[in-house]
Amino acid sequence: MSDLDEFKATYFDECSELLLELEEQFIAIQDGDRSADRLNAVFRAIHSIKGGGGAFGFDGLVKFAHSFETLLDYVRDGRVELTEDVITLCIRSIDLVADFVGAARDGITLAPDYGATEKASFDALARGEAGGSAGSAAGDDLDEFDIDFTPVAVNLDASAPLSAVGSSQEDLTVWQVTFKPFSSLYERANDPLLLFRELALLGDSTVHAELTQLPSLGQFEPFGVYCTWMIELVSDKANEEAIREVFEFVDGDCEIGIEKREGVTLAPAVAPSDDDDLPSFADLAEQAKAERKFVPTGEPDDLESPAPAVAAVKPLTPARPAVASEAGEESSTSSGRPAGMQSIRVDLDKVDRVVNMVGELVITQSMLTQQMDDAIRDRYQELVRGVEVLAQTTRGLQDAVMAIRAQPVKSVFSRMPRLVRELASKTGKKIKLETIGENTEIDKTIIEQLSDPLTHMVRNSADHGVEGIEKRLAAGKPETGTIRLSAEQAGGNILIIVEDDGQGINRERVLEIARERGVVAPDQQLTDEQIDNLIFAPGFSTASEVSDISGRGVGMDVVLSNIKKIGGSVHVRSWTGKGTRMTLRLPLTLAVLDVMLVKVATSPYVIPLSSIVETIQNSRADFGYMPSGGRVLQVRGEYVQVVDLAQRFEMSSDQSEDNRFVVLCEAEGNSKIALIVDDIIGQQQVVIKSLEENFERIDGIAGGTILGDGNVALIVDVQSLKVDSAHQNAA
Amino acid sequence: MRVLTVDDSRTILAMLHHTLTNAGFEVLQAENGQIGLEVLENEEVDIVITDINMPVMDGIEFIKNVRASGRHQSLPILILTTETSQDKRDQGRAAGGTGWIVKPFDPEKLISVIHKVVH
Repeated sequence: MSDLDEFKATYFDECSELLLELEEQFIAIQDGDRSADRLNAVFRAIHSIKGGGGAFGFDGLVKFAHSFETLLDYVRDGRVELTEDVITLCIRSIDLVADFVGAARDGITLAPDYGATEKASFDALARGEAGGSAGSAAGDDLDEFDIDFTPVAVNLDASAPLSAVGSSQEDLTVWQVTFKPFSSLYERANDPLLLFRELALLGDSTVHAELTQLPSLGQFEPFGVYCTWMIELVSDKANEEAIREVFEFVDGDCEIGIEKREGVTLAPAVAPSDDDDLPSFADLAEQAKAERKFVPTGEPDDLESPAPAVAAVKPLTPARPAVASEAGEESSTSSGRPAGMQSIRVDLDKVDRVVNMVGELVITQSMLTQQMDDAIRDRYQELVRGVEVLAQTTRGLQDAVMAIRAQPVKSVFSRMPRLVRELASKTGKKIKLETIGENTEIDKTIIEQLSDPLTHMVRNSADHGVEGIEKRLAAGKPETGTIRLSAEQAGGNILIIVEDDGQGINRERVLEIARERGVVAPDQQLTDEQIDNLIFAPGFSTASEVSDISGRGVGMDVVLSNIKKIGGSVHVRSWTGKGTRMTLRLPLTLAVLDVMLVKVATSPYVIPLSSIVETIQNSRADFGYMPSGGRVLQVRGEYVQVVDLAQRFEMSSDQSEDNRFVVLCEAEGNSKIALIVDDIIGQQQVVIKSLEENFERIDGIAGGTILGDGNVALIVDVQSLKVDSAHQNAA
Repeated sequence: MRVLTVDDSRTILAMLHHTLTNAGFEVLQAENGQIGLEVLENEEVDIVITDINMPVMDGIEFIKNVRASGRHQSLPILILTTETSQDKRDQGRAAGGTGWIVKPFDPEKLISVIHKVVH
C-alpha cells in the first residue's frame, strides 16, 4: 500500500467516525439542544471532512462540504437561525456527505449535479435568503482547494540552495530594505536573523545594524527593541512582492521600507567578509561606542546618521544568533549556540550517587578537621594546610554538585497561570496572577514534590481568599483580585510565598470549626496567628461545604505533611479584609544538614541548626511551673514550653539537673520550644538518612545520620515535638 | 529537530507525520490543545504546528496558554488554517502565533515555512 493509500484509508476511517458523530449531534440538536458545544462539534466534523478531502482532491465532496460548513459557521455565530427546516436540511445533507465519501472511497463518479439542490439551499441560506430556495450552485470561490496532496521526499540540506542564486551581472538590481522590528515581533517568536536568512535566498545581502538608539547599560531593557536594520539586497530576481513575502509573518510587527535603488553601479562597495558569522553584539556595541554613537540618555539620536556597524550575510550561511540575542531572544534554543552551553542528559540516579558520596566526603572532611588538635597543628603543618584545602575544595564540590540538581522553580510556577485562569472562570471571579523570582533554583527532588502543595495553596487562595467581583467592589477594592507567587532564597532556605489580596481568614469560623472537630480544646486561648495556622491542622478543612475547587475531601493538612516530608515548613498570616500570606520554607537541598550534636542520656542526637535560637545552661535558666505541673522556661518575658528529650524518648538521664542544657528552638510561626539535653558536643554537617525508608516513622524524629566515628545519631524533629506538646496541653 | 503537531484530524496528523519524518524531523502528536500543553510540559520541542478548530481546547486558546506559560516565549508556533477569511489567522497571530500554513499544504511549502521560523 502506498503512503497515499494509507492516508486515504486513515481519512475514510475518520470520515465514518465523523459522520456518526454528526448524526448523533444533530439528533440532540433536533431534540432542542442548541448549545454552543454541539454547534461547534458539528462544524468541526464537517470542517475535518472537508480538510482531508481537499488534501486528496475530492473536489465534489469538498465543494459540498464547503457550503455545508459555511452554513454551520453562520448558524454557530447566529447569522442564520437554526429552524426546523434548516435542521432537516442538515440531517439530509449528512447522508449526502456520506455518499460523497463513499463514492470517493470506491472510486465511483457521482453525477455532477449530485446534491446540487441542498448545496444551493446552503448557499442561499448563507446569503441570507430565508427558506433557502435553490439558487445558483455556481460561483463559489474554492481556489484554495486545487492542490493535490502528493507526498514528496524533501531535501532538507540547508546548504543546498532552494533555487539558484547565480546571476548575470546585467540584470542585477539593488534593493534597500529598512527593517525596524517592534517588540511584538519577538513575542510571536519571530526572529530577525531568520528573516535575513530568508532574504539572503533572494540574492547577496548586506546587513547594517543601526544602533544609535541603543541606551546606556543602566537603561537597557532586556526585552526592549533598539535596533533598526538596513539590508542591501543585490539580486537579479527579487521584486518588491518577493521581498514583502519574506516579511509576511511579521506584517504589523515591524516597520518595513523597501526601495529600489536606481542607477547604482555594482562595484563591490562592501566587500563581503570572509567571516561567515555576524559580528557579535559586543563587537557592534564596541564599534558604536568608538564612533560615539552611544546615546546614554536613551533619546533617539539623529536617525539620518550613517549606520556604524556593517555586517555581510552571505546567502544560505547558517549564521549565529549573536545580533538577534540583542532583543532578549533566548539564543540557547538555537542550534548555533556556543559550544560551552551544550548539555547532556544524565540519569538522576547517577547524580544522586554523586550527591551521596559528596555528602559522605563532607562529613569525613569535617571529622578530619575535628581531629586536628593543637599538638597535631604544631607538628604537621603541611598536613594541616592540606586539610584546610580539602575543606575548601569539598565545600566547592558540594556547591557544584548541588547546582547540578538545582532547577528554577519556573517549572512549577509555569503551571499556575492556567490553574488560576481556570479557577477564575469556574468561580466567576477576576483574578490576576503575578509571579516573582521564578528563576530561583531549588533541588530537583524538592521541586518535584512542590507541585501538589503549591497547587493546593493557589487553589485555596483563589477559592477562599479572593472574593467575588461584587464583594470586592463593595469593599472598595479593585474588581480584579491578585494572587502573587514569589520565590526567594533566604540564607540556607528557599521561601515560596503565596499571597492574595482577598478577605483574609475568617478566624471566628476557623476557631469554631476547630473546636467542633476537637482540633482545639474548648477553653484553649489562641493568638490570631495560631488560629490562622489551624487551617493546616490535621482533620481540619475550612470549607463549610465541600467546594468544587478546593474541596474534594483533601484539606490543607496535606500541604503541611507534603512539605514536611521534604524538610520544609509552612506558615500562614492573614489580615482581615486585606489578604492572606502563606509562606513555604524549604531547605536548599535535602542531602546535607547543618546540625548541633547533643547528647540525650548517653546517646548522640542532632538538632537542625536552622531551628536553634540559643542554648542556655540549666543552672542559669529561669524555669517556672504551671498549675498543671508542666515546666516552662521564661525567656525575655516570654513563657516557652519545655520538653525534656530524655523523658520524651523514654531514657533515663543520670546527669544532674544543673549540668544539663536548654536548647531553645524556634518552631513555625515564631512559636518556641525549649528542649532539655544532657550535653552539647558541637556543630557539624550530617547527611540525612531517611528512617521511614530504612526503618519506620517515629514521632519526634525527622531522620537519622551516621557520625564520623561510625555511630548513628537521630535527628530531632522540632516542629513535631512542638505540635504534639501542644496537643498534650489541649487534651 | 522536534515538531509538535496538534490537530484533531487523524488524517492531517498522519500527513504531517509523513511529510515531517521524511524531511528528517522527529514528530510528536497531540489531538487537541489541552493535550498539546501537556506534551509541552514534559517535552522539549523546536516548533509547534497547530490546527485552530479542535474540541476541548482550540488552537487560539492553546497558543495563548503556551505563550502565557513563560517557558515558551520564543517557541515558533505555526497555525494550520483552511480559513480563507483573515480572521482566524489574525486571531492566531494575536494570540502569539508565529506564522501560518494554509491547508491542504504542499509538502515542500510546509518545510520551507518551517525553515522560515526555526533556526
